[in-house]
Amino acid sequence: MEELLTRNFCIIAHVDHGKTTLSDRLLEYTNTISKRVLTEQHLDSMDLEKERGITIKSHPVTMTYRAKDGRDYKLNLMDTPGHVDFSYEVSRSLAACEGVLLLIDAAQGVEAQTVANAHLAFGQKLKVIPVINKIDLPSANLELCIRQLEDILTIPGEEAILASGKSGIGIVDILEAVVARIPSPRWRDYPQARILVFDSLYDAYRGCIAYVRVFSGSIKANEMMMLMSTGQRAEVKEVGVFTPKMEKCGILEAGDVGYIVSTIKTPSEVKTGDTITISARPATEMLPGYKEVHPMVFCGLYPLESDDYEKLKAGLGRLQLNDAAFVYSSESSLALGFGFRCGFLGLLHMEIIQERIRREHDVEIISTYPSVIYHILKQGGELLEVDNPVNMPDPGTITEIREPTINASIILPNDSMGDILSLIMEKRGVCDHTDTLDMNRVMLRCQLPLNEILVDFNDRLKSITHGYGSMDYELGEYRVSDLVKMDILINGDPVDAFACIVHREKADGRGRDLCERLAKIIPPQMFKVAIQAAIGGKVIARDNVREMRKDVTAKCYGGDISRKRKLLDKQKEGKKKMKLIGKVSIPPDAFIKVLRND
Amino acid sequence: MSEIKVLPKGASKHVSLGVYVHVPFCAKTCDYCAFYQVSPTVPMLRQYLDGVSAEAGMVEWIRPVDTVFWGGGTPGLLSPGDLRKLGETVKANFGGVPTEWSVEMAPASVTEARLAVLRELGVTRISMGAQSFQPDLLAALGRPHTREQILRAYDRIRAAGFASVNIDMMFALPGQDEAAWLADVREAVSLAPDHISTYCLTFEEDTALWVKLSEGKVKLDPEREAQLYEKTWEELGAAGYAQYEISNFARPGHACLHNLNTWRMHEWIGLGPSAASQYAGWRGTNISDLAAWSEKLGRGERATEDRTALTPGLLLEDALVFGLRMNEGVDLTALRTNHPQAPWAAVDQLAERLAAEGLATLSEGRLALTLRGRLIADAIGTEIMSAMETDLPA
Repeated sequence: MEELLTRNFCIIAHVDHGKTTLSDRLLEYTNTISKRVLTEQHLDSMDLEKERGITIKSHPVTMTYRAKDGRDYKLNLMDTPGHVDFSYEVSRSLAACEGVLLLIDAAQGVEAQTVANAHLAFGQKLKVIPVINKIDLPSANLELCIRQLEDILTIPGEEAILASGKSGIGIVDILEAVVARIPSPRWRDYPQARILVFDSLYDAYRGCIAYVRVFSGSIKANEMMMLMSTGQRAEVKEVGVFTPKMEKCGILEAGDVGYIVSTIKTPSEVKTGDTITISARPATEMLPGYKEVHPMVFCGLYPLESDDYEKLKAGLGRLQLNDAAFVYSSESSLALGFGFRCGFLGLLHMEIIQERIRREHDVEIISTYPSVIYHILKQGGELLEVDNPVNMPDPGTITEIREPTINASIILPNDSMGDILSLIMEKRGVCDHTDTLDMNRVMLRCQLPLNEILVDFNDRLKSITHGYGSMDYELGEYRVSDLVKMDILINGDPVDAFACIVHREKADGRGRDLCERLAKIIPPQMFKVAIQAAIGGKVIARDNVREMRKDVTAKCYGGDISRKRKLLDKQKEGKKKMKLIGKVSIPPDAFIKVLRND
Repeated sequence: MSEIKVLPKGASKHVSLGVYVHVPFCAKTCDYCAFYQVSPTVPMLRQYLDGVSAEAGMVEWIRPVDTVFWGGGTPGLLSPGDLRKLGETVKANFGGVPTEWSVEMAPASVTEARLAVLRELGVTRISMGAQSFQPDLLAALGRPHTREQILRAYDRIRAAGFASVNIDMMFALPGQDEAAWLADVREAVSLAPDHISTYCLTFEEDTALWVKLSEGKVKLDPEREAQLYEKTWEELGAAGYAQYEISNFARPGHACLHNLNTWRMHEWIGLGPSAASQYAGWRGTNISDLAAWSEKLGRGERATEDRTALTPGLLLEDALVFGLRMNEGVDLTALRTNHPQAPWAAVDQLAERLAAEGLATLSEGRLALTLRGRLIADAIGTEIMSAMETDLPA
């Protein structure tokens, strides 16, 4: 086939290594966007993305570049979600490309996410162009970066382009390398149309807009298309390209990147990684790599004010429209009232959704202790998947419990090694590989149970390494583990919001801690109130709520009775608003306070 | 006779009738006081005395009065002549001789002339607000009297020959430690009054102390208060003063009948601005403003606001809640007989739980709080009201 003057590529990088600035320079140089229009970070438009330096949604853009060979090239730049939680989304964006720019901060060197992303690109057999960015920083260490490229990523050092997105150094070199080193669009000779969906966007007026890369064939308005994973058919209403704003065009052809608006309104029906074909002449094989994404991490989300339930529900619904990987269903808790059980791809995904609910939907929420999906092998061979401790079957019926693990790469300064190794041990992890990155840093490869990194692992990693440590991970296998369901009881009644699945060795500590905190936060009670942590019927920790010492009016005569009654009435009404568990009236915010400190 | 039929029958053959007269005048407002009172002028005194007379005239006095209580304010601030006038007005409606007639007096107002008038009227009991014997604490409370005035006043009261004398004391005052308080208790005991009331300092809204508390100058410390309560009860018990209510102690035969009848949910008629009544099927409080109260009476209307109908359910609930303030507790058996339709299962369950947890004793149908229980009597009251929530007959 003739060579197409189109190049499709992504930029992959660790957080803060300058991906966005470099993208902006490319857009600017190719006159895709004038400097005037270019906001500081054009591609990352959500506040949260800007703040956290991560991309959640794709922002593809088509540029035109006249290369030194005198020809005009169409360059499609795909932005990718930069985080491990979205590795499937990253892999689909990569699948839409033939090559990547691998960005390395000249002062920071290779980081955990650099490694993970590079491996994803190698796995897709993409051409990797290393770019050492921020070379004008005084602390830049080019020699080290090049050595790391060779040693850790096995990329020849002479392939590296030296650049600075900030001052515009190396922009032409990069564009030339994209043209020269990245192959022309592949798989164009497939006999039927195959179009990869690498992302989608929900629009209230136009329904679901699919972001696509056409591999073979073409697509235009009024054609009938078919989604190959489900066989669902729909009429194409509009096709277009990203300039970077969506701009309608007549047809998308092999090698193109653009969008398709169809008659499909429901976002969940257009799945990332699916293949679109033309209904009249359908392809027989899908593009490789499609899979259904399933949430890995779960927690309950409850409104702090029960009046906000509907608002929370609407907010979750709106978020899901643009985030098919996020799932939720309603649940209710004795302790927390009405709320939702939510599933996320990972930790960051969970944090992002919670943060967006708070900020964009203005609902104060509280989340329960996160859980993963446990595989429970019952006697008789039945295998159950449990993501909520409440659904844990009776321990007597269980043969074994398996938990998901992760394979993590952790990069850290040498002097934090001891502390990080103890942290990993504390989190039931094992380290099987240590690589020296440079004079000051090492990379550990370890296996950890997923449930151990859910709560404070990342924070502690950052604090031990004074912010220099970084971690990336991929899901590993399920392993048999000595896990138990621990209940927290108030006067013998379980408090659902505090039930959790923990490793037996961790149960004592966590149980004691929860009992102590609850006992402290629940206001003094008239009657003796025991807070217990129990596994099955066995109590493993206990504490007592403080006893009420003094609550009596000194003067109470004929003239005081009406007033006193009103006061007692008010207290009685106040008690009604409390949660009654184990005959104990507990202020609604007591549980929230304990969960918040978790 | 409507007031009789809503009251518990059989609990007591006789429903006592008390008269409470509020004298709303003080020379000065104490820092802790939330009672309605003003500094008197001659026209105000007239307005007041005429008002009480008019108000008493509007009450339907259907049976003899058992007890009388003059509180304030400072009843002792009235001149001997005005005291006599007020006394004669009230007496005209007694229908006999009350068993007990108490008058509150501030130490500074105790003169032989006033005492003589009161004796003559038939007053049986003087209640003197000493609060403390220590000059710095008296100053801190804004009390306008000295230790010497207290001692002199006490001697005069005793010399006048009243059947019963009470001394009011206050504890948990800012700056008062346990030793200082116990010294005050002992000094009160050394005077050998018939009755001692000890009040834990309460922060009432609209008082100078409340302002100090909200500004953070004074701090509440329930644990310290609880300890002082315990010490007080111990000390007075040992000195021969039996506790019969949270804040009240008496030598045998000297408990205040007027107040006992209040806690037993009997009846009382309140006269004067801000005075409360529980009588003839309703409960209510007079307007807390001399001019407004007087103006209303002038139009021939009772100046009561905030009226509540006394339903059997309400009376039962209050008999329990307020009855438990007394050491004698409440007679569940008798109340059950009078209110068979009440949710007794819930009450019994609560009573048993209180007993099991050492907060109350339950013996022969009588429920009484223990020392620990009395310290949290309000919380227990709320608990009782919650238990009675269901199916209360109107």
